[in-house]
Formats: sequence, structure tokens, C-alpha cells
Amino acid sequence: MNARNKKIRSGALAAFFVAMLLGTLSMPAFGQNPRLDIKNLEALAKKASEVVDVNLDGSLLKLASKFMTDEDDREALGIIKNLKGVYVKSLTFDEPGDYSEGDVEAIRSQLQAPAWSRIVSARSKHDGENAEIYLMTATDGGSVLGMAIICAEPKELTVVNIVGPVDIDKLSQLEGKMGIPRLEEQTDESGQKPEGHRAKP
Amino acid sequence: MNPWEESLREALRRKDAPPGFSNRVLARVRDLRAREKRPWFRAFLARPALRWAAAALCLVIAVSVAFWDQQQRQRRQGELARMQVKQALRIASVKLNAARRMVQEVNQGTAQSRL
Repeated sequence: MNARNKKIRSGALAAFFVAMLLGTLSMPAFGQNPRLDIKNLEALAKKASEVVDVNLDGSLLKLASKFMTDEDDREALGIIKNLKGVYVKSLTFDEPGDYSEGDVEAIRSQLQAPAWSRIVSARSKHDGENAEIYLMTATDGGSVLGMAIICAEPKELTVVNIVGPVDIDKLSQLEGKMGIPRLEEQTDESGQKPEGHRAKP
Repeated sequence: MNPWEESLREALRRKDAPPGFSNRVLARVRDLRAREKRPWFRAFLARPALRWAAAALCLVIAVSVAFWDQQQRQRRQGELARMQVKQALRIASVKLNAARRMVQEVNQGTAQSRL
């Protein structure tokens, strides 16, 4: 009788642990949050000559979508339709070195595997530019839960955090529309790109 | 004395005023003076039905103004959010494509990159 009780108890314990494990695995990307904490950049805003700060949570995105009725807004509307948040912090400085690698690292440290995957990391030693794109996908590997872009230039630091199923191709295709100039169009007569967009298309 | 004289004398006979007559006259004079001094809206609101109607009208106007103000505020907030969405997507798109171009540069051997 005692042995039987022990067997039942250990079976229940095993079932509990299996349930816990399944629960953890089924949580989005192992419990990591697709929303980044970029509050550390607020201190840098004082040093910056230009600051772009966009904080749009789900309710504001819904509100904005009600007002996006123009023909121009249709594609943007398609992108934000199912998003839960869009957060952008772009800081432009007068001098290089006004922000440190530690400031970037504080953001980067939140973008850890297995929840986040770095899909692009490009560094230009010549221009001192560094661009990284991270994606958070569901554990089944299918749907995108969030995206982060870190773009660090000597005088500019930009962090974009999109929470929700973002369509990267659609987002990329916005260039040339919605008032976003296509870089090819920005090429001057000598064939040079403006500063900050030196890469060839 | 003929009857005509008799009736005339009767008519002209001195009579005392009824008790409280002078008080009533003075009160009425005061009331008339007070009414003349009272502003028009007070005179208007003196009637209970009109008072209720005015109160209801004020309530309707207040609710309408509050509703309109809220609509305006929401519209402004919505327009601002719309602008912010466009700005955020603009930055995201530009940076996304900049990163892609940098990767393309790597393939062309003009920059160092890791994939």
C-alpha cells in the first residue's frame, strides 16, 4: 500500500514538472518580452541635439488606425494592423562619442537567444556604422512576436522596437512611399549619397 | 332736501379706510418697485416651469460641449498618433533598408560584416 502511494506521488510530481516545462515552453519566446526597456536612452536625450521619441502602445495604434484613412496611409495601416506597440528612440548628437558602447550594450543585452535571433548584423569600419536587426519569434518558429533594430552611427543612435507580428518585407517596401525618400532618389549629381546613407543600394 | 341732494351727501360722506389698507398699499408699492429693479432673467426664472426648462437647457449645452471637447481631443490625439506611426515606420523602414544595404556592401567587399 505504501509503495503504491509512493508511486502515485512520484507520478504526480513528474506530471507537475512536465506541465511546468510545457507551460514555460508555450510562453512566448521563453518568457522574454518583445518590448525592450530603452529608458536608459532617456539620459542621453539631454546630450542629443535632436531627439525623436515615439511611444505607441496598442491602444494608441488602434486610435491612429482610425485616422489613417488616406490612400497614402493604406500600406502603413496594413503594417500596424496587428501590432501591439511601436517604440522608437532616435538621438542625433553634435559630436561623435556622445554616447558610449555601454549605452548600446544595455539594449543589446535584452536581445538574447533563444527568444531573440539576430538576423542582420552589419558593421562598417570605414563609416563607424553598426546596424543590427533582431527578431523574436514564437517557439513554434512561425509567427514574429517582435522586432528590434539598433542602428549606431558616430553621431546618431537609433533604436526601433516593434511589438507584434510585423511584416518586415512590407516595412522595407515603405521606402519610396509615405514621404520616405528612396535612397536612389537622394543620389546627387556626382553619384554620392548623402551622409549617413553611403551604402550602395 | 330732495332725493338727489340726499344721495350726493351719502356719496360724499367721509369713510374710514378698512383696517390694513395702508399697509397693503405700501406693500404693493414695494413689490412693484422691487419688480422694476429685478433683472430680466430673475423675472424669467421666477416661473418654476421656465426654471426647469433653463436648467435642462444648460445641462444639454454642458453635455454637448463636453462631448464635442472630448471628440476634438480624441481627434487631435488620433492625428498625433497617426503622425507618430508614420514617423516611426519611416525611421524603421529607413534603418531596416540601411542595414540591408550594409549587408549588400559586404557582399560587394566594401564593408566588414557578420551575418
